[in-house]
Amino acid sequence: MSKLVNIIIDGKKLKGPEGANLLQVAKDNGIKIPSLCYHKKLSPTGACRLCVVKIKDVNGLVMSCTVAVKDGMEITAFDNELEETRKHTLDYLLAEHNEHADGTYSDEFRDWITHYKLDNPKNRKYPSFFKDLDYKLDDSSPVLTYDATKCIKCFRCIKACDEVQGKNVLSFSERGITSYIIAGFDQWNESECDGCGECVQLCPTGALVEKPHRDKIQLEKMEKKVKTTCPYCGVGCQIELLVQNGKIVRSNGVEGVWPNDGRLCVKGRFGYDYVHSPERLTTPLIKKNGKFEEAGWDEALDLIARKFTEIKEKYGNDALAGYASAKCTNEDNYLFQKFIRMVFGTNNIDYCTRLCHASTVTAMLKSIGDGAGSNSIQDFATTDCLFVTGNNMIETHPVTATYVKNGIYAGKKLIVCDPKWTPLVKYADIWIQPRLGTDIALLNGMIRVIIKEDLIDEEFIRKRVDGGLDAFEELKQLVEKYTPEKTEEITSVPKEKMMAAARMYATSETSMIATGMGMSQQVTGTNNVFSLINMMLITGQIGKERAGIDPPRGQNNVQGATDVGCSPIIYPGYIPVTDEENRKRIAKLWNVDYENLSAKPGLTTVEIMHAAYDDKIKGLFIMGENPMVTDPDLNHTEQALKKMDFLVVQDIFHTETTPFADVILPASSFAEKDGTFVNSDRRVLRVRKAVEMPGEAEEDWKIIVKIAEQMGYDIGNYQNASEIFDEIAQAAPMMAGISYDRIEYEGIQWPCPTKDHPGTDTLFLDKFNTPNGKAILNPVEHVPQTEKTSKAFPFIMNSGRILYHYHTATMSRKNKALTDFANESYVLMNTGDVVKYDFKDGQKVKVTSKQGVLETTLRASDHVAVGELFMPWHYSESPVNRLTRSDLDPFSKIAAFKLTACKVEKV
Amino acid sequence: MDKSALISDFEPTNDNMLNILHRLQNNNPNNYLTTEDLNLVAEYLNTTYSSVYGVAKYYSMFSLKPRSKNIIRICKSPVCHMISGKSLIEIIENVLDIKMGGTTSDMLFTLEPSECLGHCAQAPVMMINDKMYTDLNEDKIKEILEKIRNNNPTKKLS
Amino acid sequence: MIKEKKIALVNAGKYNPESIDEYLALGGYNKVKKALQKNPVDIIDLLIDAKLRGRGGAGFPTGLKNKFTNESVCERCVQKYIVCNADEGEPGTFKDRVIMEQDPHVLIEGLIIAAFAIGATKGYIYVRGEYTKSIQMLQVALQQAKEKGFLGENMLNTGFDLDIEIKLGAGSYLCGEELTLLESLEGKRGYPRIKPPFPAEKGLFGMPTLINNVETFAHLPYIIEHGAEHYKSMGTEKSPGTKIFTISGDVNKPGYYETPMGVTLRSLIDDLAGGMKDNKKFKAAILGGAAGTFVDETVLDTSMGFDTLKEKGAVLGSGAIIVMSEERSIFDMTYSILEFFKHESCGKCVPCRIGTAQLMIMMDKAKENSTIKSQVLDQLIYEADYMAKNSLCPLGQSPILPLKSLKKYFHHQF
Repeated sequence: MSKLVNIIIDGKKLKGPEGANLLQVAKDNGIKIPSLCYHKKLSPTGACRLCVVKIKDVNGLVMSCTVAVKDGMEITAFDNELEETRKHTLDYLLAEHNEHADGTYSDEFRDWITHYKLDNPKNRKYPSFFKDLDYKLDDSSPVLTYDATKCIKCFRCIKACDEVQGKNVLSFSERGITSYIIAGFDQWNESECDGCGECVQLCPTGALVEKPHRDKIQLEKMEKKVKTTCPYCGVGCQIELLVQNGKIVRSNGVEGVWPNDGRLCVKGRFGYDYVHSPERLTTPLIKKNGKFEEAGWDEALDLIARKFTEIKEKYGNDALAGYASAKCTNEDNYLFQKFIRMVFGTNNIDYCTRLCHASTVTAMLKSIGDGAGSNSIQDFATTDCLFVTGNNMIETHPVTATYVKNGIYAGKKLIVCDPKWTPLVKYADIWIQPRLGTDIALLNGMIRVIIKEDLIDEEFIRKRVDGGLDAFEELKQLVEKYTPEKTEEITSVPKEKMMAAARMYATSETSMIATGMGMSQQVTGTNNVFSLINMMLITGQIGKERAGIDPPRGQNNVQGATDVGCSPIIYPGYIPVTDEENRKRIAKLWNVDYENLSAKPGLTTVEIMHAAYDDKIKGLFIMGENPMVTDPDLNHTEQALKKMDFLVVQDIFHTETTPFADVILPASSFAEKDGTFVNSDRRVLRVRKAVEMPGEAEEDWKIIVKIAEQMGYDIGNYQNASEIFDEIAQAAPMMAGISYDRIEYEGIQWPCPTKDHPGTDTLFLDKFNTPNGKAILNPVEHVPQTEKTSKAFPFIMNSGRILYHYHTATMSRKNKALTDFANESYVLMNTGDVVKYDFKDGQKVKVTSKQGVLETTLRASDHVAVGELFMPWHYSESPVNRLTRSDLDPFSKIAAFKLTACKVEKV
Repeated sequence: MDKSALISDFEPTNDNMLNILHRLQNNNPNNYLTTEDLNLVAEYLNTTYSSVYGVAKYYSMFSLKPRSKNIIRICKSPVCHMISGKSLIEIIENVLDIKMGGTTSDMLFTLEPSECLGHCAQAPVMMINDKMYTDLNEDKIKEILEKIRNNNPTKKLS
Repeated sequence: MIKEKKIALVNAGKYNPESIDEYLALGGYNKVKKALQKNPVDIIDLLIDAKLRGRGGAGFPTGLKNKFTNESVCERCVQKYIVCNADEGEPGTFKDRVIMEQDPHVLIEGLIIAAFAIGATKGYIYVRGEYTKSIQMLQVALQQAKEKGFLGENMLNTGFDLDIEIKLGAGSYLCGEELTLLESLEGKRGYPRIKPPFPAEKGLFGMPTLINNVETFAHLPYIIEHGAEHYKSMGTEKSPGTKIFTISGDVNKPGYYETPMGVTLRSLIDDLAGGMKDNKKFKAAILGGAAGTFVDETVLDTSMGFDTLKEKGAVLGSGAIIVMSEERSIFDMTYSILEFFKHESCGKCVPCRIGTAQLMIMMDKAKENSTIKSQVLDQLIYEADYMAKNSLCPLGQSPILPLKSLKKYFHHQF
């Protein structure tokens, strides 16, 4: 923090940090010096020349955006000469500017023109000549329009793309007065532009404007602007929804708040249309004679209550199960798990997290005591070395990736470990490309290098690792056989690269790990993450700021749903189901008999399906999940669903799962309710209602309460979501200090144990969350994958996400802006293999595994290694999970989505 | 055609952008940068498309449109302008039957304006490709252009 | 009768520039040898003492520039750079081309000396793309210098390394401006940076950088060899040393002439450039190029130095002298100059981007309707004055120079 110095502006005494930007200091003190090209998120440009000031003892006019504040500076910001100069500049700008305004954008330039009364043509001196300049219009992008006649060439869009988003897609073309903005080779839709819209948000005029709904938007007719949290991924971007005529017509990033400071990705900015899709479920639907018929709520609730009660009485509590929703709010989820435990009387509750970061969370809970990221999003920019493994961050967590890029431009290091090329590789200092399924061998190899070259943090091991040097010795013995040569043999990573990566990670002042599905979704998922943690612990790269392990979470509320107890083995706040004292406490909170709360850990997500297949689970309540696309071995899943006696699906759309339901209930989207989400860095964020629900759709938590009521249980009388959260705060100790009034402006990161605690940005600074406060090493051996290729199935299939769509795409494929960018399934095959097996790029192919078959389009690509394939799993017409197997990791119970032996044939 | 061999002696760092663009343009018989060239540079330097395109469009020596074998750059800066007046430009335009910026139909000559070429003591001046021609007058210009024409016997006289 | 005095051009024309052996025979690289034995700080003090001023046009004290760059330290500054500005684009100027074509080695020697003084181990010569012969000569000279051990690692066994590369420009006058040059050298569009920071603190790739003009570097070997006092014995007190004047226009012997600073314009024209062509009468001279000033016969006897000309409302600039005889049109010349600025404006800042266009609109109006020409000059000056006070870089700050001088010396002629 730099010291505050004294300056005087127009006679007013002010204080500002030494070296700070003068224009910004003036703004912060309420002195609004005119400017157009300056923006606090960007480096100063000095293009518009409006911020001109005079400084004592400095010759001539100075641009305040280029001045660093010094003690004793005396500045004149407003006098006759300066004001006349500013008018002159604005008058100049008007000459090359098309003033036609259509009310669809906010126009800072127009505001200044009006302020200086230049909107009256009589006050202008210069003739307009923009028409002679033949400026272009680029309307090719699916999401925005660039109109050069309105461009004031302030560089904000270019810098927004470069400095904030790290993408460098934009530039100027030509020189001088005919300059205009281009993307790519002067064709926006053929450039690298991914539609994040940072340029649009920062454009001060109507040069760059969002395309969707532009024909309808009138900013002056905006009913409301509602701040809420994005419903897509786990970054938790704060967005502001603009509502006109009861519909969302625009989404802006909210600046100045964590985690995103105004940044968004294409989904957060343009993916809201699904809320108003005509395909929204609007009434309860009951299956009668194999067909769904509309029904009233009473009829539906009555049927549900009867059926679930029947099953409970006939087969017992544990014949029932529930899937909570990583998309729903904490309030929805908390009541859901309360329902399952109180009304169903079982712990058979889980959700898609089991399919995602289950291994990561299991390993982290076991070794360091917390299953959530240890750092905060800003640390991605400031840590000295970031090790990203199994995470296609630029596509899956775009805004987090912008911080990573900011760090790289500032000289920080990046190591990417991924069997497949991802856009992040472009920025990496080292890219390690191991064969699928060889991660433990790789990490053990790296650990061995770190030990052999004496790069361990001995003090950390002694003080903060359970078992100290003895435990370390065990690890050392185990990794001895993972020589660089042996590691290279197993992983096919050149040993020099492996060693360089190990050294870089170990010797950096601070290093962070970002681990994703690549590590988690394997039968050795938990062990994979154990070996990551082992490397982290022996180098002491945790328990201090900007160091640790941070799994970027997938869904917008996958973190929160577990935090509030949607798990078969833990209660809200991560306290085990088996903990008697806690169950007593919760029983008191819930006003129930403690004996009625089951002490038996329940089944996990895939186990529930297996159990249904085995006739052990008879009734299932699904809220906001789509197992017919997300679960492994879909053929098997389908059978399981069919076998169930009674299935209720509560969702906002028909999905691939709803056809199997007995009752479908119409629920609420994120924009139609109040509540909270928890993002990847443990921040509890507000969700706010912006529009009304369609038809008879109802808020998820209210539906749950009604079903409970119908089944004879009172699970709570809540007036609003805030009251539900207050109960969550009582149930989950790490959120005890959080309440709606505290998170009105910005979210708070748990742990937040008391009302005056500010929240925690870095975990484990003093101790780990284990019984003795020390972290635990778990040495693990590499085991060859059981899923092997054969002559019949010569390829290993990897699956993952892409930027433009989200998971099962029930939401994202209902937005034109997103489908314009991508909407087709494909499988990537290495170009060498394409030649070898005599395929052609673009050809229709059939992909088969032991589990099932699908059809898709082949794309030749060098992004995948020889013998490996990749498919995005969003497109249900080519459902990747028909191919995958449901072999589970024994600890986390996650399925091995990332490795499936396949064959490819021409159609 | 794999042009990457043409530029492989340059380090793939952004500061070699202009040098690389010159190399690729000079190697093209039509003295311009094709879309493939720009793509190649973007890939070689590990940078974005607009970073290459924007540079090519800023500097007046680069062209993204095909030009002729012989690029005539006639200086129109103050000294040459004063010594020759506009008349020399008009003379060339007449001899070649094209306007400033145009290319002859036989693709032999493109006429482009240039700013000061640094031979002001021998004004008026023009460059054709990388050769400097000084102390120009109507006769000299006709002679120079004719000579180039004659060295291209397969090209028809316009 | 004045005579030429050669420092920068001392060896030009005396040897085959493609033969380093011939250069060595003339005593070439002895100054480098001498310099590398000294203490870098001593070299800087020497330059400060000699009061050498930049020959690119701005006239900034070279010694001070060296000092700032030498003293620049910061945590992340892993490398210092030396850059030679050979993007000679000022109309009427061709002195750097002559040095590079005829005596590339004096430039290399100067670069080595300066690089050593500031601690730079990597150098770039940024040459405009149109100067094909200069590029060729430099390429050969650099290659040969390296072969002889004057460049590369551990030069002359002093433990000092220096590698020099040529980087090409591609047709942009503005890239001859220091900060814009750095952007272009980094492979980007030529937009000037805001200053501060100055190149000495944060230049090429964010590192401390010394940029100087070709002619400036060409003076360093001489100063090393003969010392500051000798250097100061030539020229004027505030502008010591020599200057290459490039004289073009209506004179009998247009060309380049190196003389001590302080000679008069009259002596340059009459004694060296052969007097007015065809005995025509002298009307005006433009000193300094497009970003220069018109002067009339009242300035013919003024001493040609940075400050002495400034006192008369004129600039020395690059040393370009464009002589106009009585037949020439001041208006046409002004038109050409303003058109030049419009074409070369990068477009980044509002005053210059739109101002240069506005100036041309006014000139076009005046061209059609000559009756308004005299009023137009005042309007032009008004706009150019606003541009000079508000533009980001010297290009936008330049049109005021010729226009104001017109008002002073030629307003009736406009």
